[in-house]
Amino acid sequence: MWTRKGCVCVPETWTPVARSAITVPGPRSVVDGWEVSTRRSSAALRLSDASPLAKVSVRADPDGALAHALGVRFRSSHRRDGILVVGSGPGEWLLVGGVGAAHQIAEQVRGLAAGDFVTAIDVTHGRALMRLTGRDASRALSKVCAVDLSDAVTPEGAAFRTSVAKLTTDVVRDDAGAGTGEPSYLLHCERSSGQYLFECLLDAGMEFGVEPSGPTVDGGGA
Amino acid sequence: MIRIPCPHCSARNSAEFRHVGEAAPRPDPSTATPEQWRVYLYERSNPAGWTTETWFHTMGCRRFISVERHTVTNEIRSARPVGSTGPGPAEALSARGDAGSPDAGGQA
Repeated sequence: MWTRKGCVCVPETWTPVARSAITVPGPRSVVDGWEVSTRRSSAALRLSDASPLAKVSVRADPDGALAHALGVRFRSSHRRDGILVVGSGPGEWLLVGGVGAAHQIAEQVRGLAAGDFVTAIDVTHGRALMRLTGRDASRALSKVCAVDLSDAVTPEGAAFRTSVAKLTTDVVRDDAGAGTGEPSYLLHCERSSGQYLFECLLDAGMEFGVEPSGPTVDGGGA
Repeated sequence: MIRIPCPHCSARNSAEFRHVGEAAPRPDPSTATPEQWRVYLYERSNPAGWTTETWFHTMGCRRFISVERHTVTNEIRSARPVGSTGPGPAEALSARGDAGSPDAGGQA
């Protein structure tokens, strides 16, 4: 059976399927409403698309009730209850959680605000997110990023916004999220630049044998 | 190369910033004469020496900062959030020494 929705005829059982801005080669399947590549890589250096994860942008007073409740300051990050809270700017946070959890996270944040004026926006479909993991991750990333990526300057949990391949990118050193004990970086940029950043990182990682990988969306957390 | 010690993010390549221009006190709009407004809007002292200017960190904290820069040597002796007199919250995070090379931070 077909039904009319607006000016488009669609099957009655129609459910929207989201697509990441990043195209990873390989067979595809639909998981949690996202059409994703099922390609998995076991290379020493892996670049995986993490765009389906819920992303919520939060802005609030840097010294207000919400800042206190989140407990994360600019340039650091912290994982709590499966949600990665990133201090991406002064008075600005990025929350990354399980696929489809964006509205729940936003509600939770508004609850923590204790009456203060805050904004919590679901930016899942407006941004691209990718993860670079492997022993050589920092060497590959440092080819396109001028910030010192040594453990002394950007240890586990460090977060910063800078120019990566001439693109404004939020970078999070998140070894724990990769779960393999290797250095791992989350990179967050505008959706329209996602494929470009992905290609740039593949190019930078070529000498280290980087391989693209589809999203791991069944993990729940970031 | 100009390396700007952003008070929020610490030292970064000037390519991450937008140069807003020489900072000048804004006259009171209720009492300023047209001549004073013209001077405020269009006239710059443009010294060959120390000057205080405003930069905007587009690719970082997205904050305006006030920078004291020597226009001949490009030496920077202070950078603080606009409107504040003390130093900013930045500590360690530093840019690499080659951060100002033509293709540092990108391939584009």
